[in-house]
This record gives sequence, C-alpha cells and structure tokens, in this order.
Amino acid sequence: MGKEEKKPKEKPTLSFDYFNETRLGVLALVVGVIIAIVPFSASLPAVVKGIGAMVVILWGADSVRKTAGHGLGTGVPSIGVLAVGFGLVGATTGMAIGSAAYDKVGPIGILGVLAGVALMAVVGYVTGVLANSDKFIGMKIPGLERGMAELAMAGTLAIILECSIVAGTWHLDDVIVSDNSISPVAFIAVIFIMVGFGMLQPLNSSMGADERRGRTLLMAIEIGGINCVILGVVTVMSLGVVQGALLIMLGAIVWVIFYRAYVKACLEESYEVVGTGLIKTLGG
Amino acid sequence: MPVISLFAWMLVIVSLAFIACMFEDLESDIGSQSNPNSQIQLAPEMGYIHRYFNKAISGEGLSYALACTISGTIALVLLLRLEPTSGPKAALLAIPVGAAAGSILYMIRASVCHVGREAGQKRFEQPIYLDVLYGHLVPIATHNFIVVICITTIAYIQSNLALLSGMEASAASVSNPFPLPLLCLIWGITVGAIGSSTGDIHYGAERAFQDKPFGEGRRVVYHGQICRYGDCGVRTSKDVVAFCAKFGGPATGLTFGLIVLFENWRTVIGMMLGGLSETELVNPDIAAGYGIGIGIAVGIVLIVLNTWLVKWTRKKYGPFVGE
Repeated sequence: MGKEEKKPKEKPTLSFDYFNETRLGVLALVVGVIIAIVPFSASLPAVVKGIGAMVVILWGADSVRKTAGHGLGTGVPSIGVLAVGFGLVGATTGMAIGSAAYDKVGPIGILGVLAGVALMAVVGYVTGVLANSDKFIGMKIPGLERGMAELAMAGTLAIILECSIVAGTWHLDDVIVSDNSISPVAFIAVIFIMVGFGMLQPLNSSMGADERRGRTLLMAIEIGGINCVILGVVTVMSLGVVQGALLIMLGAIVWVIFYRAYVKACLEESYEVVGTGLIKTLGG
Repeated sequence: MPVISLFAWMLVIVSLAFIACMFEDLESDIGSQSNPNSQIQLAPEMGYIHRYFNKAISGEGLSYALACTISGTIALVLLLRLEPTSGPKAALLAIPVGAAAGSILYMIRASVCHVGREAGQKRFEQPIYLDVLYGHLVPIATHNFIVVICITTIAYIQSNLALLSGMEASAASVSNPFPLPLLCLIWGITVGAIGSSTGDIHYGAERAFQDKPFGEGRRVVYHGQICRYGDCGVRTSKDVVAFCAKFGGPATGLTFGLIVLFENWRTVIGMMLGGLSETELVNPDIAAGYGIGIGIAVGIVLIVLNTWLVKWTRKKYGPFVGE
C-alpha cells in the first residue's frame, strides 16, 4: 500500500511541468465554468463540484505565486485575501444576475453567472493596471495585470462552486433561503477562509530562495482536500448524508496523498534532515 | 434581574477574551509567527542558522480566523443536529468538539509551513531539525485549543445572549444577529490582530533582538541577526514562551480584555439608558446615542492617557534615535 501511494506523488510533479501557468489557467477556467453552468435540473453531485473547486483553488494559488513571487514577502496573505474579496463581489454579482436571468428566460439564463466572472476579470485587470502604472501607484511588478485578472476570476469561480456545494445549486433562492433549519449563507465565513487559505498559504509557507513551483502547488491541492472535508461536514447537514459522506471521503483521500507528497518533497529537497543537533556558529 | 445578568454575561465574555488573547500571544511566540517571523526567515540568508520554529501560516489575524471559523462551523453543525433533541445542553458537546477540530487543523497547517519554509532555504544550509518540528506541534495545538474554545464560547454567548440571560422577549435587540461561524471569523481576526500588534513587540524586542537601542526600529544592516542562544544552550521557540508568559502574554490579554470590556460596557449601559426591560427596548435611538457617546468619551480618555505615557517614557528613557 505504501508503495502504491508513491505513484501519485510522481504524477503531480510531472503534470505541473506540463501544466505551465497558462495551461493550468485555461484548464481551471474551462473546468470551473463548465461545472458552474451545468443546468440546475441535472444538478451535479457535490463531489464533482468539490473537484472543480480544487482545480480552481490550484489556479488561484498559482496566480498568487505569479503575482506575489516578486519580493512581496508580507504581501502574500494580502494577495490571497484580495482574491477572495474579488471573489465574493464577483460571485454575488454573478449569482444574482444568473438567478434573475434563469427566472426570466429559463435554463439558458444560467449563463448569466458568467457575467460575474467576466466583470471580475475586467475589475482585476484594471486594478493591476492602476497598481502598476506610473501615473498611479507605480509598483511595476511584472505580470501584475494578468495575475490580478486571473486571481479575480479564480476567486469568483471558487466562491460560486463552493456556495453551490453547500446549497445544492448557486441559485440565490437556494443559497440565501432554504428549507433546512439554517440558510447556507451562514457558512459563507468558512467558504471565505478556506478558499483564501487555499490560495495564499501555498506560497506563503513555501517561500524562500529555493521555492519550487511543483512543490508549492502540492499544498494547494492538499488544502483543497481539507476544504472538501469541512464542506462535506456542512453538506451532511444541508444536502444529506450521501452527498456529504462522498465529499468527506474524496477530501480525506486527497488530503492524505498530497500531505504526504508535500512533506516528503520538502524533506527530500531540504539541505539536510537531522534528528537533532546544534547550530553552526557562524559569525560568533 | 435579567438586565443585571446581561452585565454578568458581559463580564464572562471579557474574562474569556482575556484568557484567549493571552494564550494567542503565547502561541504565536511558539514558532515566531507574524512580525518576528520575517527576521527568523531572513536569519539563514545572513548566515545565522537557527533552531527556531518557522511558523508562516500567514499573519496571526488570518490564521486565527481559520482556526476559529472551522471551530464555529463544526460547532454550528453539531448544534443544529443536537439542539432540537437536547436543547441548550448541546453546546457542552458542540463547542469543545468544534474547538478540537479547529486546533487540529491549525496544527496541520503549522507542520507543513515549517518544513516548507526550511526546505526553501536549502542554499543557505539551513537543516530541518526533526526534534524542533515534532516538539513544537503539540504546544502549538494546545495553546491554540484554549484560544479557539474561548472564542467559540464568546461567539456562542453573543448569539444566544437573550436565551442565556432570560430575555427571550427582546431577543432581537439583545442577541447578535450574525451566525456563529461569521462571529468566530470576526473574533478570530480581532484576537489575532491584537496578539500581533501588542504581543510581537515584547517578543521581538526582548527575546529575538536583545541589543535593540531604545525607540529604534530594526536597522536594515542588522536584519536577520536574531538572538540564537538561550539561557543555557541553543534556543528554540518553546523557550521563548516561558519568558513571555511572565509579561508579554498577560499584557496582550489585558489589551484585548479591555477592548472587549469597553465595547460591551458602553453598549449595555446605552441599552439600559434606552429603557431596556425584559420585554422590549423602549427607545433604540437613545440607546445607540448614549452608546456612541460613552464610546467617544472612553476613546478620548485613552488617547490622553497614552499621549501622557509616551511623553513620560521619552523623557525618562529617551531620546529616540534620530530625534
């Protein structure tokens, strides 16, 4: 069993090389959008949406790495929270437009949710331009415009998918008012913080001169797994035991595999792993 | 009597806040989170190999928001499941189970960030000491548990204040309208922010950089020059806690406790002046007005006291470098 678990560790390392920043972004955008616009009548199980959320969080973490990797040391958590902030605004907009369009014109109106994603792409890009431009803040961080746009889109898709996991669909009637004893929107705090951590912690915790993209992104998937476990517990309450238990199982498996892979990669790639020892006394 | 019990619950919240923030500061010292962390991170680059725990989950505000929100979420799910059958007693199970989930998750996050950061410093020859990794995880989880259980209890009391103080009739004006996880998020960010702003100074100035001149920030030339030796042997982050527990931790707890005390005290006094009774709040506008007025008065008194304290300190120990 221990041998078999080694394989998944190799796979993501290899696949991250293929999925460079652009390819990963396109993949996550496509997966996230497809899962978001599946008709309500054929509502996907929470597990599929959980996988979608993982991919989108991975994209967000990669965008944070891209944006904050240029010496924004203490800014990494801020960039991650900025992404979720964009996400909350975009998701609320998208879900409101999508729900209204669905009620007016029927199933095709579901596409309205993409208005939120598109809006945040524009807002994110403009933010990047304002921050980088000499006329305004003049931060001159390479690739900030693209990074901000990607962050905003990833945050929006993640929040939409996670609201949809908890409430069954992202229709505002389901998200805000519910037949259950409590409205799913009560859990917006946990969605906010888990998506935020999925995006900000990988770079923040792997930072250093010898940071490696393949290793950093392993942690994003690991947090995606924890995210699925927590949302699974909530889903047991809101959608029933079957949906919730499947989501918890998926999350637990993903978490065990990628936690092992990440810690192993770190121990292997560090300068030295010692049980204990004294420090080298350099400079007295 | 119910109005008096509002004051009693307010004092319970304040004492819980005191304990929470004291342990929050001590926990952040195990692993040099937040401000001092940037120096711990820089130290190997400057050639100072160390045995500190590098806990870079994020700033304290966010990492405590994480632990407390998870705790609040699990507690709320359990409450929704158990309250219909066993009533308010359900909280006795829900809050500790939620807090345990929150602190276990926090410990997991702490474990990955230490190995991650140390592996990122390969070229500076910083090894991963396994005894440092394993030895710090349980203290981190236990200190965190105390904080999270206090914060979840505060949030629970706030959202059920009407029921607890026997004023169900005026629940709309007494209980907090936010759901439990959201209250936990807000309190988590607050406790982390106070712990970071007040506690770090003590830890940083007196334990990590002991040769800092009065009133001076850390000069760039000295960046990364942390104090790596303890009273006996090489220092680890755990050793810092025993020192900070004498002054830094309680001082931080006092800061947060006083903030919560003043904030709640002015609200409750305002509500009493607004004619709060068991059944209703007669005049909400007067209640809000008095509450804001008392708040401004408290703020002015604190500003005056602080200004006087800074002036006195500069005169006694100064001058500041560069003055």
